[in-house]
Amino acid sequence: MNEATGDVDSRDRMLIQRMATGDRAALETLYRAYHGGLCRFLSRLTRRADLIDEIVNDCFWIAWRKAGSFHGDSRVSTWIMGIAYRCGLKALRQRGDEPVDDYALREGRGPSHDPDEDRELRDWLGEGLKHLSADQRIVVELVYGVGNSLEEVATIMQAPVGTVKARLFHARIKLRNVLPTLAGDPPAQQENLS
Amino acid sequence: MTIQMNSGKDCARAWEIMPWALQSTAPREQCEWLMHHLAQCEACSAEFAQQSRLRCALSLPTDVLVDANSGLKHLLERLDAPEPDATPVRFWSSGSRLTRALAAAVLVQAIGIGALGVRLWSDQAPRYHTLSQAALLEPAGALRVVPATGMKLADWNRLLHDLDLRVIDGPNDVGAYAVVPAGSTSSSASVLRRLRADRDIRLAEPVDNTP
Repeated sequence: MNEATGDVDSRDRMLIQRMATGDRAALETLYRAYHGGLCRFLSRLTRRADLIDEIVNDCFWIAWRKAGSFHGDSRVSTWIMGIAYRCGLKALRQRGDEPVDDYALREGRGPSHDPDEDRELRDWLGEGLKHLSADQRIVVELVYGVGNSLEEVATIMQAPVGTVKARLFHARIKLRNVLPTLAGDPPAQQENLS
Repeated sequence: MTIQMNSGKDCARAWEIMPWALQSTAPREQCEWLMHHLAQCEACSAEFAQQSRLRCALSLPTDVLVDANSGLKHLLERLDAPEPDATPVRFWSSGSRLTRALAAAVLVQAIGIGALGVRLWSDQAPRYHTLSQAALLEPAGALRVVPATGMKLADWNRLLHDLDLRVIDGPNDVGAYAVVPAGSTSSSASVLRRLRADRDIRLAEPVDNTP
């Protein structure tokens, strides 16, 4: 954990402590601090904005109620991501939905101020993520997007570290094979199953 | 599963380090080693560049637009809303009909088993009675009478009529009849005395006194 991450976690712990005493201002601060990251994280599970909004709502409702039982065994961000992940799976299960497999659905939904470079990068990423399973997308998001360690991802997904490591490995293999092609380059190395 | 790397073990090691080097969480010596390897290995250098781009792409804000202010407003409203009532009500309301049907079936079975048990218990009364138990067939005041083998039926009927007696059982294996006074005109003692006085009556005894 670097210094900046440590500062953020210290701030978050104070907010959680205040939430445990019923301080709604602390809840609002934490909500705004995590909203963007959670939405991006959950967008790897579903592309439905209304469902993401509902899952974030469920996540913070639980965090509010459970703030008093947070003992600091993990970073606050890991704790909240774990809640959001489980809420996301539950919401999809209740609706009989599967995690999204079609990143093409995002076409036309990008913000109007999206610079060309970002749009190109999003498209490139979207095409690559289409080849991954939902669990693999989540692991890639948590490791590359959020910056979590394997142990933290295992805590969030409530899975063994070995399982997380395998998911990351397979995701990277797939991405290595498809992303250069999407960028117009031939893949540097090819997966070899033996 | 194995990966064919152009440069063997070094490339495999570089592959392992890349995500954590990008996160800046890998130890410094590993990062320095990786940079040295990348400078020499074109394939790993390309892979690292691609992973850097992947990290950059994943760091972009999501393109699924969700309004934070609206979401926060809904959350605060939810916190103010009264909580759903007790669990038991929810259990019965959300519990399946199957659960209730099973509970009813168990109740019916329990009642049936109980009734059957009571009936079986009552049927288990012994089909014999001991000498210490009162006779069940003969009512109070009954007499056991053994007529002589040569006694005519007409004489037997006349005697019963004269003494106002009614046969309620017999004859048994030894030819004994159980009789009771049909009315209350005569006392048991006088009836007994007159029976014993008859020459065609071999035995007359009250049932109550029978050992």
